[in-house]
Amino acid sequence: MVNPVLFIVVPLGLAFAIPLLKYISKKIIRFVPALAFLFNLIFALRLIPVVMDHQVHVQIGGFIPPLGINLVAGPVGMLFVVLIALVGFLVSIYAFHPIKEKDEDRYHILYMLQLTGATGVVLTGDIFNLFVFFEILCLASYSLVAYLGNRAGIESAVKYLIQGSLGSGLILIGIGLLYGQFGTLNMADIAGRIHSVQSISVYVPLVLFITGFGVEAALFPLNAWLPDAHSSAPSTISAVLSGIAIEVGLYAVLRVVFTLFGITHMMGLFLLLGVLTLLIGELCAFSQDNIKRMLAFSSIGQIGLLVFAFSLASTLGIAGGFFQLISHTLGKALLFLAAGYMIAHTGSMEIASFQGMGKRMPFTSLAFTIGAFSMVGLPPFMGFPGKFMILKAALHDGQMLTLILLVFILIATVIEGAYFFRVVQVLYFAGEDLPDRERAPVAFSRFVPMFLFTGLIIVLGIYPSLITDLLDASALELLDRPDFIKSIIP
Amino acid sequence: MNFLSEYTYYIGAFSLIIIGLYIILVKKNLMKVIIGFSIFDTGIYLFLIAVGYLREGTAPVFSKPGLDAGKMVDPVPQALVLTAIVIGVAVLALAVILAIKIYAHYGTLNLRKIKEQRW
Amino acid sequence: MRKLISIILLGMVATGLFMSISQIPFGEPGERIGDHFINQGVNETGATNIVAAVVVSYRGFDTLGEVSVLFTAAMGLGAVIGLVRRKKTHTPIEPASLIVYTGCRFLFPVILLVGTYIVIHGHLTPGGGFQGGAVIASAFLLMYLGCRGKRIRENLSRGLESLGGLLFILLGVTGLVIGRDFLFSFLPEGEAGNLISAGIIPLIYMAVGLKVGSELTGIIDHLIEDTDELPE
Repeated sequence: MVNPVLFIVVPLGLAFAIPLLKYISKKIIRFVPALAFLFNLIFALRLIPVVMDHQVHVQIGGFIPPLGINLVAGPVGMLFVVLIALVGFLVSIYAFHPIKEKDEDRYHILYMLQLTGATGVVLTGDIFNLFVFFEILCLASYSLVAYLGNRAGIESAVKYLIQGSLGSGLILIGIGLLYGQFGTLNMADIAGRIHSVQSISVYVPLVLFITGFGVEAALFPLNAWLPDAHSSAPSTISAVLSGIAIEVGLYAVLRVVFTLFGITHMMGLFLLLGVLTLLIGELCAFSQDNIKRMLAFSSIGQIGLLVFAFSLASTLGIAGGFFQLISHTLGKALLFLAAGYMIAHTGSMEIASFQGMGKRMPFTSLAFTIGAFSMVGLPPFMGFPGKFMILKAALHDGQMLTLILLVFILIATVIEGAYFFRVVQVLYFAGEDLPDRERAPVAFSRFVPMFLFTGLIIVLGIYPSLITDLLDASALELLDRPDFIKSIIP
Repeated sequence: MNFLSEYTYYIGAFSLIIIGLYIILVKKNLMKVIIGFSIFDTGIYLFLIAVGYLREGTAPVFSKPGLDAGKMVDPVPQALVLTAIVIGVAVLALAVILAIKIYAHYGTLNLRKIKEQRW
Repeated sequence: MRKLISIILLGMVATGLFMSISQIPFGEPGERIGDHFINQGVNETGATNIVAAVVVSYRGFDTLGEVSVLFTAAMGLGAVIGLVRRKKTHTPIEPASLIVYTGCRFLFPVILLVGTYIVIHGHLTPGGGFQGGAVIASAFLLMYLGCRGKRIRENLSRGLESLGGLLFILLGVTGLVIGRDFLFSFLPEGEAGNLISAGIIPLIYMAVGLKVGSELTGIIDHLIEDTDELPE
């Protein structure tokens, strides 16, 4: 069994080493991220059976939890670690071709730091440590959004940075308030001392945390930065931002809401918030002509759906939410990579410019289509079991509010279908009269990740039971708060 | 009045936080917004330090023998502030460089005029 | 309008914050993990500066993250500037006056020495890797002001930066290799108050000082380079 701390330390160490590796050979740098995340992927997968049995706790520096920092590798944490490593590995294969001529090494360093920050957030058991890793993730994201150095990128990065660091500041105030009251920073220890959220002095940190992490998780109305940032970043980074960064933000919200504060009431509010986010995202996505902005708005919509699923606060709902989260990560990463490849070929982000792509880039178009179908929730792709599980959980919940909101979710799905089919239609059926141009040249490194993402979406769509055990265990970890506390602070 | 004397440090820290937030929300100039962030951050650091303060306490450093451990202020908030300051510096540096780039691209730092990106 | 909304919003934030501190009495001792650090810190880590013990030993993982945040910012800075770098400026730089020039040359080694002292004595007196690193970087800032036109070698500063980070991680991993936890203090605590004591704290602080010093210098270097090229 590998020590979970290595999932953070190995990519971090390799990121630190890249400037030195540059002296040996400039060529090998681009393979370093792939190597790091392949390591993470292999060993994280091997750790999964262990954490299904019992949580793995790691102390840092040899001090027992409330004193030192600890890592908690439970089902939720390992689920995210595997997801981050998987997306990190595949997207870094895509980046074997340089994004920009200069500063290739900085791109790879920032990319690794971003995903290392994400891994740290999902593994740590200490609230301040979570904040530190969250900052790594955010700072790397700001820099990568501005990486291309064009007007759009810089402007989006500024907006993102202002909103993001405002959120971080609020989180820090929240941490200060909690430390002042409970005198500890360990999440399980704090959770053990919070018996109810009635008192205002506990309620205020909760609101601060949800607002702060909500910026990164793109909860409505804190998501104004998202469409700009996701559309002006390089495509590989868009894939990571949409597939990993906002999900990690959502993880932080979940951890705070379920584990740290143990809220059971007020869920109606979150259900409403989720559906509102969903509707706004999908409606805005519908009215976009720019493909990357459309995908970015679709991410907002999907986050809304996830928030709805998690707010059901039942095993079924949370497991469904996690399934949909994985489906969104894989699907959106695939969509951004495919769209990025087409954009690189046509030089335009307008949807209309993709006419006839079905002939010129058949494989990429097919990958995009499969991703789009999975997003909409068509069988046999991964989106179908996800949405189906959420639907089932909502019906099982049976409250009036849930059922009303369910109608809106179905409407949102129809809108989602409409705009994705519009793109697919442009890809295959528009521009019949265009002269037959040659097929685009095939770049191996671009096809491998798209092929693997497509394969995963289909396999998990047909056999969702491959991961449902892990998802149920994850849901249990979030819902069974006393057990979580007792396992860390005996 | 009692409240004021009891909580002077908190009030000072929170005032800085509120002033910083006001600047961030209202000001148009990107440089002023960055200064607002600096004030906001400073307020947070002061608040964290105030949380760990002990009346008539000394620094938690056993620099000479015979110091009373019971009279020392809480070292944890100080460690947190150290970390937070470094993070603040990092964010500030990035913000400044982005402001320079904004100026190079747009010729202005007015945030209301910089909105090519629309929903 | 915007002002009004902001003021209302801030009024709500302020009320919330003030109401929430009622549970945090100011200046009173409470039941906190900090007490353990003060009472046991010297025994457990061997450092007389308890803040250093908390930063490097008890919460060493935060420090690793913190170093990475700074590294991220330095790399991000370089990446953002990236495109238009290293154009030679056309206008010749006006040299600093003789007094400033001589003063800077005199102070430069002294500041470096003070910075190094602060780094090395981090576990004994207030100070440590970050503070000392910042002082070291200030020496280079002074050099930029006084001896204009002189530049550090970018490769060298980036190399040192990497070296510092790798050293930190290496020290951490050594704890794993000998079968204990990451960042475990594998060296003897020694006698508290001596320069060579407190296990791996001074070593980690040296790595941090190296890294922070070269990183902040690099950041300053980037900012100077870029402001040279602004349009008139």
